[in-house]
Amino acid sequence: MALRMWASSTANALKISCASKPHLSFSRCFSTVLDGLKYAESHEWVKHEGSVATIGITDHAQDHLGEVVFVELPEPGGSVSKGKGFGAVESVKATSDVNSPISGEIVEVNSKLSEAPGMINSSPYEEGWMIKVKPSSSSELESLMSSKEYTEFCEEEDASH
Amino acid sequence: MRGPLKLEVWKMGFVNYLEALKLQEKLVSDRKLCRIPDTLLSLQHPPTYTLGKRRTDHNLLIPESELKNIGAELHYTQRGGDITFHGPHQAILYPIISLREMGLGARNYVEKLESTMIELSSLYGVKACAGKKCETGVWVGERKIGAIGVRISSGITSHGLAFNIDPELEYFKHIVPCGITDKEVTSLRRETSTALPSEEVIQEQLISCFARLFGYNTVVQKENPSILSDHEEIA
Repeated sequence: MALRMWASSTANALKISCASKPHLSFSRCFSTVLDGLKYAESHEWVKHEGSVATIGITDHAQDHLGEVVFVELPEPGGSVSKGKGFGAVESVKATSDVNSPISGEIVEVNSKLSEAPGMINSSPYEEGWMIKVKPSSSSELESLMSSKEYTEFCEEEDASH
Repeated sequence: MRGPLKLEVWKMGFVNYLEALKLQEKLVSDRKLCRIPDTLLSLQHPPTYTLGKRRTDHNLLIPESELKNIGAELHYTQRGGDITFHGPHQAILYPIISLREMGLGARNYVEKLESTMIELSSLYGVKACAGKKCETGVWVGERKIGAIGVRISSGITSHGLAFNIDPELEYFKHIVPCGITDKEVTSLRRETSTALPSEEVIQEQLISCFARLFGYNTVVQKENPSILSDHEEIA
């Protein structure tokens, strides 16, 4: 608890005045969780900027997957539905479906991931982004977890086992 | 602390690959809806080559048209991993379990599947170990005795592991097993000097190792498991 308060106040002290730039908060399990993003219980993140939402998987997710060797992504122009799979990642001989936290139209996919799937591990919130979507519902975005709620969610998930 | 964990085991004998796949798809759907508990299918396949999501069919070394001549089928699947062979005398486990309820990620799940086969091997004095990075599976020295290929969909697993009790190893010569060149495939028969009991006993031991490693405290056997669901049985 004390560590989290210290980290929080440090993060606040370092906060950049531009609101759209996310900064770090620390979770007990030391997976990174970024402020300013929204999170799904299936460990995907959404960054909403203007009319476009970028989607990827979290640091917690990539850590539990292991080294990603293959990423399957949809085509731009297709659509995604909240809670439904839009692609998959392969690691340690396991393919894991990736679900979309929101519904909308896919406007761009990260084609660099076919050459460099490991970016999901090394940079899950930045270079490891998976798809960009034009959201069809703002209420879906609002119903997702904040960084604080997601941090607690991860801690509960890890602690109860 | 989590509550009691129940595992339902289906001992299915010899099952065609596609039928087992259809059954798994149904069970995954049922498990997602919490209609069934964690379920484990224990079975063997007729000679079958399978490919994973990456469709690495360059690792099949004979033309597909030749497969019928050697009495084998080929199937493309959504599991992880490269090309592999399944056949008689190879023990297969397909766990349909909720990783979220168990608090496991893909990496830990696969490690436990490896441990299951390592523990079974040790019952026969065979020192097996997990593969190094990028070589998921179970090895005795440089020889592969167990393979893994898994699919995780909304936190529910399907496909699983294949442990070589005494399969016809010639079949592996027609592929680059798991995409790894210059490594052999082996079997429990080859690696142990202990006399082997019946395969039924070995498969039962494999199930026990699995149940223990995953912490199930209640293991029940499904009576009369069949490919057809209760709703599909012909009246």
